Amino acid sequence: MNIDYHDTFQRMIDESLAGVLSAEKEQSLREHLSTCATCREYLSASNRVIAGLSGFSFEVNPTFNARVLAAIRLQAEEGRGILARDTWTMRHHSAQFKNWAAFAVALSMSFVGSGLVYQMAERLTVPNHFVTAQVQAGVLIFWLLPSLCAALCLLAAPGENRGNA
Amino acid sequence: MECETQRIALGLRHRDVVVLEALVEQYQYRLVRYLVSLLGRRDGVDDFVQETWLRVVERSGSYDGQSRFEPWLFRVARNIALDAMRKRPMFSLDSNEGEGVRSSPASGEPSPYTLAARTQDAERLAHSLQSLEPVYREALVLRFQEDLSLQEISVIVGAPVSTVASRIYRGLATLRPQFEGDTA
Repeated sequence: MNIDYHDTFQRMIDESLAGVLSAEKEQSLREHLSTCATCREYLSASNRVIAGLSGFSFEVNPTFNARVLAAIRLQAEEGRGILARDTWTMRHHSAQFKNWAAFAVALSMSFVGSGLVYQMAERLTVPNHFVTAQVQAGVLIFWLLPSLCAALCLLAAPGENRGNA
Repeated sequence: MECETQRIALGLRHRDVVVLEALVEQYQYRLVRYLVSLLGRRDGVDDFVQETWLRVVERSGSYDGQSRFEPWLFRVARNIALDAMRKRPMFSLDSNEGEGVRSSPASGEPSPYTLAARTQDAERLAHSLQSLEPVYREALVLRFQEDLSLQEISVIVGAPVSTVASRIYRGLATLRPQFEGDTA
């Protein structure tokens, strides 16, 4: 057998140990190993390297674990405090935003509604025995102006209280 | 497996001390072993280990539980070690392979591998393992001691799978002559 031939299978041994050899090639490698002492020797030496790597045992100071645990307990407690505060702030801001958005939508609908009624005042006068000017004045005084005041109050309120409006 | 990783992710997110303690118990030694392989020295490793756990608590929300915990933990540890090495340029890990400045114990100090060898094979490997390029040593330890896949190692070291495979082959090729010709 020539050297290139062994090289091919020794490369396959490396790939097998690295866990990237296909099942088909694994089978072919097994068959080759059963007949080739050179490649068996190569595999044996590789396996001894791997076994050797497991033969080291690093000492860990027994008090070290306790020190690490104390440090992470402290950090975890601090972190939980921050987490709880962040969650409260997020929820609080979220509720404020929802209130503010709902109020803004209601106000916009009020503007649109009053505007439409104002425009249609002429059609409403006949069935209700009103004159157009009376209807328009009613819409202005009892609907459009209150909506406008509410909008101005909303815009003038400080940001913190806006959501609670 | 996914159930276990989800449990860890949830525990970390809530900074659950019971989960954190269990993780320290389970991974402490492996973290020490990995950092020794990365740095080629034992002294100073404890500080990196502690820093790693504190970073784990700090960044607990970034582990999503979709993959195994070990690669994420080792990546955190690696980043901390690399940051420290950048501040102390006498140590280099990601320098050009073959030309890199090796991280090693101070002169006169025994190698951590010599001190930690518990078997005959380990004793034979100790010297060459110490002089091996850190990137090869790291790849060998992650593959054969931590039993990680090439894809997982690739995520930890931030290199393509083909590069990781090449480091493993080269690492084995450097250490193998120690045992060639042995019939034992």
